[in-house]
This record gives sequence, structure tokens and C-alpha cells, in this order.
Amino acid sequence: MRRFAAIALAFVSTTAMAATDPRTLPTKLEPAWQAKTRELFKQAIEIPSVHNRGETQKVAKLLADQFRAAGIPDADIHIMPYEALPGDQTTALIVRWRAPHATKKPMLILGHMDVVEAKREDWKFDPFVFREQDGYFLGRGTSDMKNGDVATTMAAIKLMSEGFKPARDIIFFYSGDEETRGVGATLASTKWRNLTDAEFGLNADGYCGSYDQNFRPLGCQVSIAEKTFQTYFLTTRNPGGHSSRPRPDNAIYELADALKALQGHRFQPMLNPANRGYFEHRAKQEGDSPLGRAMRSWLANPNDGAAADIVEASPIDVGLTRTRCVATMLSGGHADNALPQSATATVNCRIMPGVEPKDVQTEIQKTVGPKVEVIPDPNYIGVPTPASPLRPEVQAAITNAIHLVVDPKMEVYPVMAAGASDGSFFRAQGIPVFDVDGGWAITPLDDRAHGLDERIPVRAMYDDVVYWEKLIRSLAS
Amino acid sequence: MRHLLAATALAAFVSTSAHAAGPQLTPAQHDAAHAMFEHIIDTPTVIGRHQTPAMAQYVADQFKAAGFPDADIHVLPYHTSSATTGEDDTAALIVRWRAAGAPTAKPIMLMGHMDVVEAKAEDWAGTDPFKMVEKDGYYYGRGTIDMKDGITAITQAMINLRKAGFKPKRDIVVLFTGDEETNGIGARNGAGQWIDLLGHPEFGLNADGGGISFNTDKSPAGATMQTAEKTFAGYTLTVRNRGGHSSKPRKDNAIYSLAHALDKIEAYRFAPMLNETTRAYFEGRQKLEKNPLGDAMRRWLANPNDGDAADFIEASESEVGLTRTRCVPTRLFAGHADNALPQLATAMINCRIFPGVDPNAIKAELEKVVADPTVVVTRNDDYVASLASPLRPDVTAAYTHAVQALHPGMPVFPEMSTGASDARPFRVAGIPVYGVNGGWIVTPIDNRAHGKDERLPVQALYDNVVHWQLMLQDLAGK
Repeated sequence: MRRFAAIALAFVSTTAMAATDPRTLPTKLEPAWQAKTRELFKQAIEIPSVHNRGETQKVAKLLADQFRAAGIPDADIHIMPYEALPGDQTTALIVRWRAPHATKKPMLILGHMDVVEAKREDWKFDPFVFREQDGYFLGRGTSDMKNGDVATTMAAIKLMSEGFKPARDIIFFYSGDEETRGVGATLASTKWRNLTDAEFGLNADGYCGSYDQNFRPLGCQVSIAEKTFQTYFLTTRNPGGHSSRPRPDNAIYELADALKALQGHRFQPMLNPANRGYFEHRAKQEGDSPLGRAMRSWLANPNDGAAADIVEASPIDVGLTRTRCVATMLSGGHADNALPQSATATVNCRIMPGVEPKDVQTEIQKTVGPKVEVIPDPNYIGVPTPASPLRPEVQAAITNAIHLVVDPKMEVYPVMAAGASDGSFFRAQGIPVFDVDGGWAITPLDDRAHGLDERIPVRAMYDDVVYWEKLIRSLAS
Repeated sequence: MRHLLAATALAAFVSTSAHAAGPQLTPAQHDAAHAMFEHIIDTPTVIGRHQTPAMAQYVADQFKAAGFPDADIHVLPYHTSSATTGEDDTAALIVRWRAAGAPTAKPIMLMGHMDVVEAKAEDWAGTDPFKMVEKDGYYYGRGTIDMKDGITAITQAMINLRKAGFKPKRDIVVLFTGDEETNGIGARNGAGQWIDLLGHPEFGLNADGGGISFNTDKSPAGATMQTAEKTFAGYTLTVRNRGGHSSKPRKDNAIYSLAHALDKIEAYRFAPMLNETTRAYFEGRQKLEKNPLGDAMRRWLANPNDGDAADFIEASESEVGLTRTRCVPTRLFAGHADNALPQLATAMINCRIFPGVDPNAIKAELEKVVADPTVVVTRNDDYVASLASPLRPDVTAAYTHAVQALHPGMPVFPEMSTGASDARPFRVAGIPVYGVNGGWIVTPIDNRAHGKDERLPVQALYDNVVHWQLMLQDLAGK
């Protein structure tokens, strides 16, 4: 569930034009470390760590081996098997890089090793065969988020090889079910707290930087609040029968009607401190365009629903003005020659902070009508989480690293994430978490997490190692 | 797939005394039919259980014991499989009873299938579906009406006639298949690679079609002769999308596009059609219906372009599927993760196509209805159009005669079934097939083919043997 960096946030001078393609600039990572990074990335991508495949433990072992080879003692490397979705045996990895003389509370760096399902027949290439092509690395997990796993691991190893001694313990936590249940993050923030307790967390899930297609830097966003994730199942039922004798009522047709109603429904727009700050800056960026004017109208009058609708329709800003629900999966029927006895749609909602998932359920029920059963996914009940105020030293460290490694024109700014991540479980347990990966992409061209032909610019992958190296140096010195 | 008249609920027949005075079996013939029926009901010829070859051998042995020469009895093993049905090593049986002298015409083929639909003991009320039980005037067991009754009746009728010295004037050839309920490969082979063995029959008489029904008040509900069947064809609607992260919904969504396409299919009505069979059927039906349904039938028969009248008939529970091609979605699949926008959404559309209409034309029509280039329509199979068999006076007369010999006054209708059977590949190959079984049931209480507690009135088994004897004497004895 990586959050999108594509949510543009930028303060671009109006004179910026004819910018250089950031993909063509040289990386700041030395060639020897490029080779090591590429090899680890290749191995990680080619492990299909999709839920229920039992492969995530191989990623854990792969990363653990890197830390061990770099000198972390076995006693500080913890491979933690656990069950995520019922029957899904997965694994988390916890590594502690100890400070010889700690002067501060530990710092947590987190990520996840699992990836979303990818089907060979949907992709142009095998999603689990690593490819480099036209300046990109391709494969499932290249942007969500084996890039972050590899960048944080390589940065630590590189720092160790250079003799860096941290002034605080650095704990690396990689979960094995972020994309499904978040049991790993739940355990890490509670039962395994003795291994993970930290002053704050830096989440490598979701690159922060983005460029538009004219290569204007759109900013590096650090999420301080996030929408609540909740999936609902919409089910219609029918007595069924033989398909040679169609009945007037049909579970599939009734579900189709419910989906059309859902497609047409709009939740109430809402402003909160995180998205208000974001839109104030977006409004400046958009200037006197219709989108910019709509943003200003809405900020001036939060009840101006028409203005909020224009903002929500912008592909850059989608998901940031209100709760959104979308149909993601369908199943129905039991035989080609039988009328369906039931049909079910999976509807995934991203709920505004402060709104209870129960109220969203009620609103969906009202929208689709009484013939449709609406229930929340019993495997994951969303819990609204508090915002993490951005710590000045973290913001300074990120800004410094982004400007040195990625682009001096890339602004760093806090936002509300439309997606959810492992960070929410730690926030809920009192550990502030900031999503701060230093990767970047061209938006919307490269926004392919969870989708087809997922990819990351080669330079973004390599430079992310340097970024994490600088971030760790400045926050753990 | 047995389709009894019962569904049409022909309710208002003048009551007549049922099957009282007709010809009867001798006690020895009665016992032989009972023994054979019990043996084959107790053989669970469900796909995947590998029992059909044993049943084919058993039936072959009955013919051998009655003096049919070995050289004219063929047990033909074959394999049946598909992605949705599973697989089995099954078998067909072909028996040829040669004409005494030079045949007067090409052979008559007698058809049936030995396989049955799955049945689970825990679903049944107290009896094991694969252990025949006689109770309350009924035989209970899987296959009692679909259609081991017909297998028994054809076999015993031929044995009885042979023993009685009957000399057919043309060849009579039996084809019992082993996978009608699943893949129909036996029938396809029959119309293909086994056609020489079958002697290129002039027409087929199928025991898996037709039949006699009584209402619960004992009044006759009619006998039907199946002369046409709709074509079964499957289609897939497929929508692809770039997908993406579900926290950022796109304007275009594969699931919503599919929902709109399904909505259009729900609203669409194919053009009403009449053929010789359905016209004769509705002419018979309208006489019995003095209500608005009967009025609609009369209006439609008078003016085949009266779409409103046809729509009214189609909306009747008893007539659904008989006025036109029908397509209905039966399965849905979409998406790959709950937190990802769908890249692929598909719906299976099951169509029952009016005889003579090309399934490719229905594909084109569905494309036109959906009217969305992002929704791709493909076919799931390569079935070709089923054809109606022309009403033959000799078959109609023989069937009517046999029915009325046992059930005086019973009206006889031609019928188009909405389902598919082994008849299709023969009709497509130019060999007409008539569903002319002589079993009877009480409707709707005995309509249990494919369902739970399948049963046959005891007397119906023996009446059916007599029925097939009469039919064969009539059609092969003159």
C-alpha cells in the first residue's frame, strides 16, 4: 500500500522551462556500488513474495545475509515467522545496528518485503523476471517497494564498509504482509516492541519525489496523516436455476446496478490541516488556471462542493478532497450453465481521517439499496490514526539529502497520504512515522504500483542508496 | 439434459383414464426390465468415477445373451474432458440389428446416454442415489428419469421383439453414449468417426427427449416429441484497463465498464422467432389457455411481427426461452487485489440460441448491444448452429400411435427444448433426430432430473418398454 508521491506539491518558479530529463543525469552512486545494488535488486525482484506463495521468507533471508556479511552479529538479526491472512505463513525481519555509545533513542527504518499479485498474462513481460530497459528497472516491486528495501539495506552496508559508527541504534524492520493485513506492523508495534522501540520511524515505502512530464520537479512529500483503509464486500443473492430459463431477477444484474450507483456516488468533501496545507501550495502552483481557481474557491468556502469536485477530478489531486471508494474485484456464479446464486464485488475505500468506517458502510448501503448486502472485510478493520507532526530535524535532513542527491529544486513538504501503510500501526502505538524514501518518478507515466509493467528510473534506484546514506548520517551522527 | 414437458404446465386437458387398457409385458419380460434397471441405477456413471465402461459392457452382455451377434455389438472406449467438467475414461455402445433381407431403407438410430449427473447421498432424503429403492409406487435413484429408464426400455424392447421373432425390414442401430451430461464427445464421434458403424442412419429416435406428463389431478398434461433444440454457446465479455493503485481511482474502471455492458444486455431482447416446431407447439398450447397468455399466443401466431405479444409470452414462467434467443450472465471475475484498480474484468454470458441462428451472428449482436469498443466479446466454444428437424409424418404417426395405445386421448405436441442434447451433432450433420421417449411422470412433483430424490413411477418403466416395441414395429416392421 505505498502512498503516492504523484500527489504533486511544488513551488516552481514560473521561469522554469525546458528542464533536463532527470532520468538522463548521472547517478551519484559509485560504479562498484551500482553493481552490488543492481544484483541485490535483481534477486529481490525475482522472488515472487506475493501473499500465500510462501516466498517472503526468502526475501528476509536475502536481506539478513547482507547485514550479516557486513558484520551485524547473529544475535541482532531476527527472522520472525508469523501468519498474516489466514493460512499465509509469512516472515518479518528485524535488524539492530548498534551504536557503540548511544547518545539518543533508537531510530527505526521500515519497509515491507511482500508485493501485490501480478499475473503473467496481464503484463508485457514476466513480472518476476528483473529487466532493465530504456532507463528503467522493470518488475513487480520495483517501485513498491523492493527499491526501498534494497536502498536502505545497501546504504547501511555501505556506511558500515566506510567505518561509520552511528550515535544511536538503528533498527531495520521489514514486514511480510503490508499489502494484505499489516499483521507484521501490528506485532512490531506491540508484541515485538522490545526489538523495535524507537523515537521515530522513517518509512521507505513510497518514493517522495516526482516530476511532471516536462521534467518540472513537483516536490518531495512526507506524509503526516493518512486516510483509513477499509475494504467492503457487496453481495447479491438469488435462488439461481438453469441458465436456459433466465429469471427476471439475477444476482449479477443486481450487482451491476449497485456498482453503477456506487460509481455515481460522491462522498462529502472535507478539509483538514494536512490537506489544507497541501492545497494552499497547490493553488499557488496552479496559478490562475480553472484548477487553481477551484482550489482557492474551496479553501475559501469548504462548503463549495462544485469547486471540490473540480479539484478531485484532477489526476494529480485525486483522493485528497474526500473519502473515495472504488470497485476492485468481482466474483459471481458457480457454473457457466447455471444462473448465479450470488455475486460479490470488493469495494476498497480510503476514508478521510476522523471519519468512522461504520459511517462509510452506512452511506454505501444507502447508495446501493437494501437488496445488496454490505459488510466490511473481516480480515482488516480499519482504525483511524493520528497525524505525526513533522519533526524539524527530520525535515531538515530530508531536504538536505534530496537537494544534494536528487534535485536542488525539489521542495520537501508534509502531506496527507491517500493510501495507507505500515506506518499507521506505529503511529497508532505512539511512534511517529514519516514516509521519506528518496526515490522519484515521472508522473503519471510511472505511477504503476499495484498495476501493470511496474518500473522505476534506474537513476532513481541508484541515487536512493546515496540519499539513505546521507539521511542516516545526518540523523544518527 | 432431459427436458420434460412438465415445465410447460399444460394444465387444462380433458381428463382421460391413463394407461389402463394398453398392451402389457409378460411376467418374465417385466422381471428382466426390473433387473436391468436396478443393475444400471446402482452403477454410478458420473464423470470421474470410471463406471461407464462397465455399464456399457453390462448392456452389451444383455444384447449378446438375447442372441444379437458379437460382430454387431461394439463397446467403444473414449476419453472425455474439459476444463470445467473434469475428465473420465468413458465408453459408448453401438448395437446393430440387421434387416432380415435387403433393407428397405437406411437404418433407424435409437439414442440414449448412459452417464448421469452427480448426486450426493447427503442431499437426498434418506435414500442412496446409487442404490435403487422402490417406494410408494416409485423407483428412486439417480438416472431413473434421466435416462436409464430409456436405456432399459430400448434394450428390453429390442430383446423382446427379437425373441418374439420380429424381423426388421431395415437396420435398427443403437447408440448409447457415455458423456452427454458433460462434453458430448460420444455424440460428436457418432456423427463423425463412428458414422460408418452406425450405417449412416436416415434419422434418430432419442430416448433423451420427449415424454408424457400427467397433472397431479391425473389429467393428461400432454406428450411431447422433441424436434428442435436451442444451440448452447458461451461468450466472454472482457474489459482491460491500466489499473493502478486503488487510493487513486481512475475515471475509467474495468469493473464499471463491465457493469454498464451487463446493464445493456439485461435490457436487450433478441428478436422473437417462430419455426415449424414452436408454431405447432404454440398452436397446441393456445387451445388450452383461455387467459391473457393464450390471447398473446393467438396474436403472435396471427402476426409473427407482434413483438409485444411475443414479449408477453416470453415473460411467462412456463414459456421462458421458447420465443427467441436468450443470453444471461452466469459468472463474473475481476481484479487481482482488493487494493488495486482492476486490470481485467470478465463476465461469462451463456446463450441459448434459436435453432438455425449462427452463434457467430449472436457474437456480433452482443457487440452491437454492448456498443463499447473497450468491452471485447469472444466465444468460449466452437459450437455450430443447432438445426430443427423437419416434422416427419411417419415418426409423428408412430409416436402418436404408441403414446395413445397406452394413454388413449393423450394430446401430442412437437417441442423445442431450451437445453442441449446428443441430438445436436446429428442434426447438424443432416440426420434429423426426434425425442420420442415413452416414459411418463406427474408434473411438477416428479420433475427431478439433475435434482434431488430423482424418481420414476414404477409402471412408467414397463410402459416405456411397450412404447418402444410399438414404435419399432411401426417404423421398422413395414
